[in-house]
Amino acid sequence: MVNFTVDEVRKLMDKPSNVRNMSVIAHVDHGKSTLTDSLLAKCGIISSAKAGDARATDTRQDEQDRGITIKSTAISLYGELPQEEDIKDIQNQKTDGNGFLINLIDSPGHVDFSSEVTAALRVTDGALVVVDTVEGVCVQTETVLRQALSERIKPVVIINKVDRALLELQVSKEDLYQSFSRTIESVNVVISTYLDKSLGDLQVYPYKGTVAFGSGLHGWAFTVRQFATRYAKKFGVDRNKMMERLWGDNYFNPHTKKWTTKSSHEGKELERAFNQFILDPIFKIFSAVMNFKKEEVATLLSKLDLKLEAADKDKEGKQLLKAVMRTFLPAADSLMEMMILHLPSPVTAQKYRVETLYEGPQDDEAAIAIRDCDPKGPLMLYVSKMVPTSDKGRFYAFGRVFAGTVRSGLKVRIQGPNYVPGKKEDLFIKAIQRTVLMMGGKVDPIDDMPAGNIVGLVGIDQFLLKSGTLTTSDTAHNMKVMKFSVSPVVQRSVQVKNAQDLPKLVEGLKRLSKSDPCVLTSSNESGEHVVAGAGELHLEICLNDLENDHAGVPLIISDPVVGYRESIAGKSSMTALSKSPNKHNRIYMTAEPIDEELALAIEAGKISPREDFKTRARTLADDFGWDVTDARKIWCFGPDTQGPNLLVDQTKAVQYLNEIKDSVVSGFQWATRGGPVAEEPMRGVRWNIMDVTLHADAIHRGAGQIMPTTRRVLYASTLLSEPALQEPVFLVEIQVPEQAMGGVYGVLTRRRGHVFAEEQRPGTPLFTIKAYLPVMESFGFNADLRQGTGGQAFPQMVFDHWQVLPGGSPLDNTSKVGGIVQTIRKRKGLKIDVPDVSNYYDKL
Amino acid sequence: MASDLSAPPVLSTPAEQTFDEDPSTQTARAERRTISDDELFEVYEIRRTASEIAERGWRRVALQFPDAMLPDGPRVLGLLEKELAKLPARPAARDDEVKEKPTQEHQQPLEMDLTTKSESAKAESRETRLYILADTSYSACCVDEIAAEHADAEGVIHYGRSCLSPTSRLPVIYVFTQQKLDYDAIVESFGKEFPEKDIKVVIMADVMFQQHVTFFCERLRDMGYTGVMGTEIVRDPAASIPNRKVILEEGSTEPNEQEEDAKPEVDLSACHLFHISTPPTSLLLTLSSRLASLRIYPTPDSPYSTTSDIIDPSSAPALLRRRYGLVVRFASASIIGILVNTLSVKNYLPTIALLKDQIAAAGKKSYTIVVGKLNPAKLANFAEMDGWVVVGCWESGLVESDGMYKPVITPFELALALAGDDKRIWDGSWWGGIEGVASQAESKAEKDAEEQAADRPEREAEDEIPQDVEGGVDEEESEPPEFDWRTGKLVSHSRPMRVAVRSAKKNDASTSPAEGDASKGGKEPSAALVQRKFGELATVNGVVSPGAEFLRSQRTWQGLGSDYNTTDDIEDEESTAVEEGRSGVARGYTVGEDLSRT
Repeated sequence: MVNFTVDEVRKLMDKPSNVRNMSVIAHVDHGKSTLTDSLLAKCGIISSAKAGDARATDTRQDEQDRGITIKSTAISLYGELPQEEDIKDIQNQKTDGNGFLINLIDSPGHVDFSSEVTAALRVTDGALVVVDTVEGVCVQTETVLRQALSERIKPVVIINKVDRALLELQVSKEDLYQSFSRTIESVNVVISTYLDKSLGDLQVYPYKGTVAFGSGLHGWAFTVRQFATRYAKKFGVDRNKMMERLWGDNYFNPHTKKWTTKSSHEGKELERAFNQFILDPIFKIFSAVMNFKKEEVATLLSKLDLKLEAADKDKEGKQLLKAVMRTFLPAADSLMEMMILHLPSPVTAQKYRVETLYEGPQDDEAAIAIRDCDPKGPLMLYVSKMVPTSDKGRFYAFGRVFAGTVRSGLKVRIQGPNYVPGKKEDLFIKAIQRTVLMMGGKVDPIDDMPAGNIVGLVGIDQFLLKSGTLTTSDTAHNMKVMKFSVSPVVQRSVQVKNAQDLPKLVEGLKRLSKSDPCVLTSSNESGEHVVAGAGELHLEICLNDLENDHAGVPLIISDPVVGYRESIAGKSSMTALSKSPNKHNRIYMTAEPIDEELALAIEAGKISPREDFKTRARTLADDFGWDVTDARKIWCFGPDTQGPNLLVDQTKAVQYLNEIKDSVVSGFQWATRGGPVAEEPMRGVRWNIMDVTLHADAIHRGAGQIMPTTRRVLYASTLLSEPALQEPVFLVEIQVPEQAMGGVYGVLTRRRGHVFAEEQRPGTPLFTIKAYLPVMESFGFNADLRQGTGGQAFPQMVFDHWQVLPGGSPLDNTSKVGGIVQTIRKRKGLKIDVPDVSNYYDKL
Repeated sequence: MASDLSAPPVLSTPAEQTFDEDPSTQTARAERRTISDDELFEVYEIRRTASEIAERGWRRVALQFPDAMLPDGPRVLGLLEKELAKLPARPAARDDEVKEKPTQEHQQPLEMDLTTKSESAKAESRETRLYILADTSYSACCVDEIAAEHADAEGVIHYGRSCLSPTSRLPVIYVFTQQKLDYDAIVESFGKEFPEKDIKVVIMADVMFQQHVTFFCERLRDMGYTGVMGTEIVRDPAASIPNRKVILEEGSTEPNEQEEDAKPEVDLSACHLFHISTPPTSLLLTLSSRLASLRIYPTPDSPYSTTSDIIDPSSAPALLRRRYGLVVRFASASIIGILVNTLSVKNYLPTIALLKDQIAAAGKKSYTIVVGKLNPAKLANFAEMDGWVVVGCWESGLVESDGMYKPVITPFELALALAGDDKRIWDGSWWGGIEGVASQAESKAEKDAEEQAADRPEREAEDEIPQDVEGGVDEEESEPPEFDWRTGKLVSHSRPMRVAVRSAKKNDASTSPAEGDASKGGKEPSAALVQRKFGELATVNGVVSPGAEFLRSQRTWQGLGSDYNTTDDIEDEESTAVEEGRSGVARGYTVGEDLSRT
């Protein structure tokens, strides 16, 4: 039975200082969902017997079948700090009573679903970072931690799967301590690398109680603080002092009965306090239970003042161990305590998060309401993702109320990602039909929800694609758009088997696009419906959903293809010239590649067309070595006005140039959308308009003359500057035991992979190999790797960068690249051969 | 200062260059072999043409040639005149008929001196005057009635291949011209394509080769092909094979009406098609879904046809998919240009009206535009259009050109694009013309009405919205946005007119009780200053105008002087003293007091 009611939860919502919004983040298989179970069990949502196996937040059938989390799931929990003492320990923020509302989001760990993590992080203020004792900090741990920090989210850490270290690896106490401290060290390295200075010190320290140790599977966990509380009484020392002594180089000298920082006393080794006071009882329980020493177990239990439930008493071995440990150190208690004590409440968090959350000026009414987490201010709500409802085809808009109060029937302004204040574009007015509380797979209706909480909204799903800002203030700007660490680089096209099903497919694609923060569904020039995802697994899950759920019709799915980018490798060999159809206007242009860093900066939105041109020019000059005058004369970005291609005006004293600017810009957008080589989007090219001659009569230099000419001259200059194709490249991290490394190298080499780092995890035979692997070669990589290593290697792939496709010029049919170009052109129904420069270049 | 400049700076290509020959077209004008008069006589069917002219009693006849045949024009005209002279004089009775024509001329006033014309008409009453139409306004396959009417012609003789679209004004004699065909080669090619003898094949030929079909079929039947079916020309572009009727068996070439009704329709989808000479792309697309497969026998280049790329029939599905891609993208277009690409195909005016209605019903804006022969440059002049729909004959309706800035689709495709994502079915059937658009629209309207009736209770249930709650936004609820398939994002502007209609209604409702009669007598612009709300759309005479909105919001340059607002990005520009400019007319300008013209 759930031991709290919606009404209780609703009451707590009015006390934002007693709310904790947090997400559970980690590398895949480090035990997030399992740990979450123990929290759910504590609140009576699942039975404690099932905890650890149920993975109750994996609500989808395929999540249960595959044993991985795919969608992030939110659930609201009720927590209490029974001790008055503990409440005093909540530092730097106010509290009101000892009841707490914890809005928890369990997120997927597989790298392909990173976008779900991003969406979860946006609506939370704290993160529980789960790290595997054995595997340590992995690539995805680092990624999610980095994302959390960039969203200004405070982390606490739990080192999970300690049972494995004890049972499987049989490590000694000191080794375990070393392993713990190494792991914490590497977490702190990541934290300090990506630290946002305004947040202060976010590093985690066991002696501050921001690190827990435990086992999700067995349902136990502890913090140094808990033990400190126990021993503080015994030693009669202040608890906080005790905490510091129980970690690090602190030793208790039993001879002098004194604390020391030296590890030896009169030549005798002293036992580290952590080992002696914390690990020792645990080790004892483990060895007693696992060696079936019943009496010893009984004495230990009485010593620790523990009473087992009647049903547990007859258990043996692991089952008994589980029961004992769960009674000794219940995971939920220590986690709950850690989260309540150390994670910020919305009131605290929104003070420093407002800068990174809100696009508009920091002193307008919306910003102030967010900063104060004001339930009476104008509504500011960010929808971070859409959650499917039981009603097919409809979605809950899932988000966080940052200011104001949202209630059923409230008419709100829905501002899509392209909304600009004062314009009608991407702005909708709609009444919210109902507000609901998200409880895992279920929802509970709730009348209203004040600032600081996580909410589900019914009735506005048609107005949002993936995310957006909801507000009641008509001057409010947008909340910042989320930046995902993954990009949809793997594509597959889908077709219906039966033409009559097309409307269902089309509807299904729209729903699919809503249901996932990252997936991209569109239709290309050649009339194919394309689904693009972050990786093979992601795409597989999406297409599965599409076929069985969203569309529900049989589909023909093509092999995965990679989206390429067209670029150039050098400067134009000569100035390209194109004449307008009426031969009265001429445009001269050259093309040159832009730095990869600049292209990345544009893609990351660091350099954007929205910026003031003077500051932009300054950054370009300072960081990318541009000439300031050039940088000031950037006409536009493209494709779609924000891509990584630039058009720079370098003309001198050209008459009527302002008049044709719009036409040139349109032509530029058009050309960069699909380049001359394979109609793929262009990337990383800068075009300079060298000169323009125009007819003196306006009628002869209209859009019709200039736009096609611009496109032609852009194509001509591209073809004159060593055109190249760029392909996406994955960063692969593979964990593999030493003996299987040969297989990994073999598979990587066969697939044009390139290993750039290889390190051993201290204390284990496991190696971590980092490599770059072209996305094109990654199809079937997992299966190949399994085969090559006897299933011992586990790869994680995430899109990393674009790289020029090696193997010759795309214009040369005999080269490898040329061959790829021809396949693309064939697939798109274009003429097989790339058109020659002479099609676009006009002689003077 | 100004006197230093002896001539204006060269800002454009000198005008003379306009008349310079473009070297790129020269290659196309390949050497034509000389053709003997006898051959011309045969090929252009001079005898038949002459007798038909004589029979119909036409006095002024326009000859329309496709580009490839145009060089033969004068000689054909000469031969035709000779042949006409040989014929006996026409019956005089026809004269009156012709004289009654001026009523029609009044309807289409032409740039022609009416008095001289009637005089000359009298003088010529004895003989027939022939005119060669130099260029066609839209496409060579259609009869150019407008050009013919410039010559005040009573009829047109159309040479070469034709789309056979029904004309609206003038009678036409089609001369498909007689082309030679190498039977042995074609039979061999047929045998290669269809080794099985019992296969069902429809034989079809380009109109220029039509006369060979019957012989060819017979020859094939002699060889043992039992399932061979010939075709004959009927003037019905909307037929299942455009302009053709399948002849089932020998002897049944002229079935009377009842027989035809009784006869079971040939199931074309089970048949293969063998096409003699390369078909136009639109025909290929139309047929590709109606028949099991298509084979093409490309005829060798002849002096009578322009060389065209031989289309691979297997590329038809890819081409159709590309068309689908256009249609899907078109669905989110907000401003659609109706491009009039014909002035002679029957029913083009009702079709335009119908398209306008369809577009308006979808909440989009349409503009009707005539540009003559279309090319990318002309279309790109209308940057505010999100797409074009072509009203033309069924062959020229397909505009496939690399350089088009915005998609150009056919009325058939428009209906699909407007149908909405939940109703659009693309089963490969395709049609390029305006025929059948009306019936398509009707059946769709019926279906829609039915569906709406069925939808309504469901919709209402869904829209049960709780009463207004305090603190909300005080504005009308918006329509949900549309999914843009090109970018995969939602767009809010795809139905600009729909929003307008709704808000206009609301305005009327709110003003009418207060102002009473005043509002009924037409909207009078209020004299009071009204602050323009942010995000309000541009209106023209109180009606939302997406075109005007485009100019207002998308253009950075809005006429002279507007660039002074943006000078802040050019800092080094210094102010200069105002100088007096030139004035006067183009014949010669004067500067200030100085009366000498420059």
